[in-house]
Amino acid sequence: MTAPSAGQLATAWAVFQGLLVEALPFLLIGVAIASLARAWDPRGRWLQRLPTGGVPGALSGALLGFALPACECGNVPVARRLLAAGAPLATAFGFLFAAPVLNPIVLLATWAAFPDRPWLLLLRPLGSLLIALAVTALLLLLPEGELLAPELLAERRLVQPLGQVGLLERRSGLVGGAGNLPAPTPFRRPALAELLDHGSREFLELAALLVLGSAVAALLQTLIPRDLFLTLGQAPTLSVLSLMLLALVVSVCSSVDAFLALGFAGQVTPGALLAFLLLGPVIDLKSLSLYGRILRPRALAVTLVAVSLAVLLIGQWLNLALL
Amino acid sequence: MLATWGVVLLQAWASGRLHLLLQPDFHGLVLAAGLLLLLLALAGLRWPSGAGRRRPGSAVAVLLGTAALMLALPPRPSLSTLAANRGAADPGGDGLTFLLPPEQRTLTDWVRLLRQQPDPQLWQGEPVRVSGFVLTQPDEAPSLARMMVRCCLADATPISLPVRWPATAPLPPADRWLAVDGVMGVERHRGGDRSIVLARQVRPIPEPARPLEP
Repeated sequence: MTAPSAGQLATAWAVFQGLLVEALPFLLIGVAIASLARAWDPRGRWLQRLPTGGVPGALSGALLGFALPACECGNVPVARRLLAAGAPLATAFGFLFAAPVLNPIVLLATWAAFPDRPWLLLLRPLGSLLIALAVTALLLLLPEGELLAPELLAERRLVQPLGQVGLLERRSGLVGGAGNLPAPTPFRRPALAELLDHGSREFLELAALLVLGSAVAALLQTLIPRDLFLTLGQAPTLSVLSLMLLALVVSVCSSVDAFLALGFAGQVTPGALLAFLLLGPVIDLKSLSLYGRILRPRALAVTLVAVSLAVLLIGQWLNLALL
Repeated sequence: MLATWGVVLLQAWASGRLHLLLQPDFHGLVLAAGLLLLLLALAGLRWPSGAGRRRPGSAVAVLLGTAALMLALPPRPSLSTLAANRGAADPGGDGLTFLLPPEQRTLTDWVRLLRQQPDPQLWQGEPVRVSGFVLTQPDEAPSLARMMVRCCLADATPISLPVRWPATAPLPPADRWLAVDGVMGVERHRGGDRSIVLARQVRPIPEPARPLEP
């Protein structure tokens, strides 16, 4: 690859602005939902009544997507809020991984883009549910302490019943712990000022990550010819892999990726098309940086590998069944 | 900080830059988000939180730097660079474009029409009046193109019409916006016939306020 020309840099700059300006409103919506949830039910009592077991928990989380429609940028703050409020891990992960597809807006968009492919309308939500279940089950094998980002873990400990966490883990300042947590006792309704402050900080921290993710995505997609991904379009396995890479790089929101896929649907295998629509909403360069606020690097790596494998298997299966 | 980003979003909306970045359906969302950010910033001044916690310095630097750059450097994408990277789009559409008189068909209408009724004989001799930007291709003469956008510039894909440029003038440079008058013709291309615009008059035009096709 030669050094990028001025035209390419200018183009990448514009693509970057497009990605960022489009994603920021959705991020704001997500943070707003999370803040409202915090004001309404700061102790997360309602959340703790959700099923805790692996499969029912993940299912309930996945179905939350119908209640809180957000694409993948908006659902990171919401999932983080769920976890901080003490929701069962399975529920929060189910939501994080499945809600970007299992919500009315995305399903409508998929239907609008592919009215002639009813199997896609069925397999997209089904596949994403399967992936969410599988990845959640895998992540639950790790202990909570190795799973969640340290800051989030500390927030979560504060609302968990003492039976589940020891005082040492809780770091409430009385025993042990660095005491680096400010003192908002979660057992009162947070004041407006505190809500505002908390929400703004959350938004700004996620926005900074979004800037980085969008920059990488914009540069890569301007410098790498898209045909590189599509020329592999007819080989059953390679096509699935190359469209997965494309989904990773392009980083468009799940509410519109179906329309983007429409542009090349004719050139690729059905399995690759499904893989593109399954992987993009869960993992792309833009949202990967946001996940760092929820998961530790190791858990993030597990997620990345597990989701990719699951998508590859589903895409490959579809190709075997249809081709 | 919130206010800065509110201003960035509102400025993008007010200056018409959004037309270059996003599909019109999303413009209202950007406006609302910009206003909300300003409101939140004001509310933060009115009800300051006593905590006074410091924000992480690196996040502040990234956000302020990006905001300043976005205000100072408007997007100037090279559409042909963008297009060269991507396969042709399927313009979709309802297939009723043949009802339009030929002179009124836009470039998008023509591409739709040719996709639905690829027989070039059908269109031979019809007058063509279209505008678009010049898309240069490695092995062919430059064509006249438009960008179709579903969401934002990241998913923009080109649609283009092949053009036989007047022999009297040099070939137009990439990214130049042109209005082309001519007729539809037929040429041999890779072993088959295809429609091609035989340009009679080519006139440079300013970049349109809405360069992207929804």
